[in-house]
Amino acid sequence: MTGLIAVAAALAIGIAAFGSALGQGNVASKALEGMARQPEAAGMLRTNMILALAFIESLSIYALVIAFLLAAKI
Amino acid sequence: MISALHNIGMTDGMITSSVITIVLCILAIVAGRHLRIVPSGLQNAVEMAVEGLLNFFSDIMGRKLARQYLPLVGTLFIYILCCNYSGLLPGAGEINGLSAPTNSINCTAAMAITVFIMTQVAGIKAARGPKYYLHLFKPVAFIAPLMAIEMLVRPLSLSLRLYGNVLGEETATHVFFQLIPIGVPVIMQALSILMGLIQALVFSLLTAIYLSEACETEELEAHE
Repeated sequence: MTGLIAVAAALAIGIAAFGSALGQGNVASKALEGMARQPEAAGMLRTNMILALAFIESLSIYALVIAFLLAAKI
Repeated sequence: MISALHNIGMTDGMITSSVITIVLCILAIVAGRHLRIVPSGLQNAVEMAVEGLLNFFSDIMGRKLARQYLPLVGTLFIYILCCNYSGLLPGAGEINGLSAPTNSINCTAAMAITVFIMTQVAGIKAARGPKYYLHLFKPVAFIAPLMAIEMLVRPLSLSLRLYGNVLGEETATHVFFQLIPIGVPVIMQALSILMGLIQALVFSLLTAIYLSEACETEELEAHE
């Protein structure tokens, strides 16, 4: 049983990190492309990019909290 | 004295949070005494900070709402920033009484519930009554349960985001310290300087966005 719990904790954070890395990579690439096209808008683009990154990252933070809760039960 | 506080039930995070609050209040009171039209010294620095925050939030909420709600969002930003950085002070977590307040769900959930109640109050004030809740039925009537769930999930996500980030950084630093005691934990702490700033920014930015969304019914009425 503790083996299953350990595998569950590792899978939780692993899959969450994979998904959120894909999402954040898309956000960053579009933001950088926009900043390269129009450097005057860089400040506004940067603020909104940080906001979007934090939204996506919060999903993988939920998985991290679950992984902590599971790892405490091993 | 600290063990006496522990016996009452205060945790290290609560003690650090009280100290941060007292220091910020003393700073504000000292800077606000004997105000001059042409500022200098401490009053100048504090005015720069307040004006910077006001300009930043005006881009999101509009000038009038930013002036009205700057006490809430500005205080959230400064307080969460100080709380996150207090976990990087030497001895945090080891010395009796010093520990980042935001590494416990209690602190972040308290702030998130405050923001939730404040958005309801702001929305009801802007729509002049419980008509504010008609916005749940707005695009299509049967979408109301989804909109209600989204409204209720906001404090959950706000609190979990801040708590998970700060606890994760502290745990990662702890694990790195157990693996390689010299050099490597500093890299994680440098990352936590950046992430602490970003999380404080995101918490207050999201609060500002939720408040401006709740108050936008007032602007629609003014235009009609």
